[in-house]
Amino acid sequence: MRADLRGHLDGLLLAVLAEQPGHGYQLSQRLTRRSGGDLGVPEGSLYPALHRLERGGLVTSAWDDGDGRHRRVYRLTSAGRRAAERSRREWRAFSAAVDRVMGEPA
Amino acid sequence: MSPLERHLTELSAALHTRGRVRRRFLRECEDHLRTAAAERGEAEAVRAFGPACEIAAAFDAEVAGRRSVWAALLAVAGVLAVGGSTLALIHAASPAATPAIPWAVAFFVAAQLAGVAAALALLQALAMRREQVAPGDVLLLVRRSGVALLAAAAAELSAGGAVAGKGSALLLLAGPALAVAAGVAVLRVRRLARQLAAAGGARPLRPPLEDLGMLAGVHLPAVEPSRLLPLVTALAMAAAFVRDRAEQGTAGQALLHAGVEGVAVVACFIALGPVLGLRRRVAELAT
Repeated sequence: MRADLRGHLDGLLLAVLAEQPGHGYQLSQRLTRRSGGDLGVPEGSLYPALHRLERGGLVTSAWDDGDGRHRRVYRLTSAGRRAAERSRREWRAFSAAVDRVMGEPA
Repeated sequence: MSPLERHLTELSAALHTRGRVRRRFLRECEDHLRTAAAERGEAEAVRAFGPACEIAAAFDAEVAGRRSVWAALLAVAGVLAVGGSTLALIHAASPAATPAIPWAVAFFVAAQLAGVAAALALLQALAMRREQVAPGDVLLLVRRSGVALLAAAAAELSAGGAVAGKGSALLLLAGPALAVAAGVAVLRVRRLARQLAAAGGARPLRPPLEDLGMLAGVHLPAVEPSRLLPLVTALAMAAAFVRDRAEQGTAGQALLHAGVEGVAVVACFIALGPVLGLRRRVAELAT
């Protein structure tokens, strides 16, 4: 199964950034690992989404030479942490409601 | 040329965004693709990255959204500055000067139009800060900002035509100078947004109440602006009547001015409603 979750990309990115800061490739790997490879999000679409989160003040970024390569590392702001928690709560409520409808045969 | 190099070339060619932000984006994408290719091979890295034109379009839309918000905020500051210059101009006028009626009417209409368009642009810009924006919304924000700036300039020009006098050049020109800077920013975003929205389509309708509800975190009823027009017109006419009476105008004069105000509000809504995203064009309603 590969679900198309483009509409939820911002929430997913906030969730993996809540784990720890990272550059774009690390974040895409975390998404793949945590979803078991079931999320059908093109890896390139992460970058417009990361720039959007930065515009909204939920994420900050800076160049980092930590592992010998010059990379842009993203981290959550305090507003981003609150948004990640809110996004998680909203998703749980939504999935529980869908589950109540879809889970039981009529 | 390898698949990875070809993909990067396609991505670069598809991007409309220029400048530092473009270089940063392309550098991030190249680093991502090279890291992925080293682990999974070039073909798989390119496939997983996604189509170059889609990624470029999403990034262009994001940049246009961000720039339109800043341009709108600058435009609102420009409108306020022009308002300040206009007040300085009016206060510098001779107390005995009698304004010509056409200039006075043009001043009041332009000043109110500038205020309304600037308020619409500010609401939309604040609501768009965190949302995924469509090129149509960016163009609408650009139009609202542009109308606000043009109307503010028309208001200062009309005030200058209505009342003669001498004032500080610095005060009179500071507002227009900031407005010109804002106008340049608005025109730059307009060019990018028009490239993105080249496919065309209906102009978006964006009721200000929805933006207000989003900002306040409350659900406001989705009321089309045209349904609010009678209420808004009545309030504007009442305000014009009260202001005139407070300035020792006769009841007849106050009624006349309230009538002019009402006609101006309805005329502006009809003429500029589609431009400001407040109503659809008749041709669009028919389809």
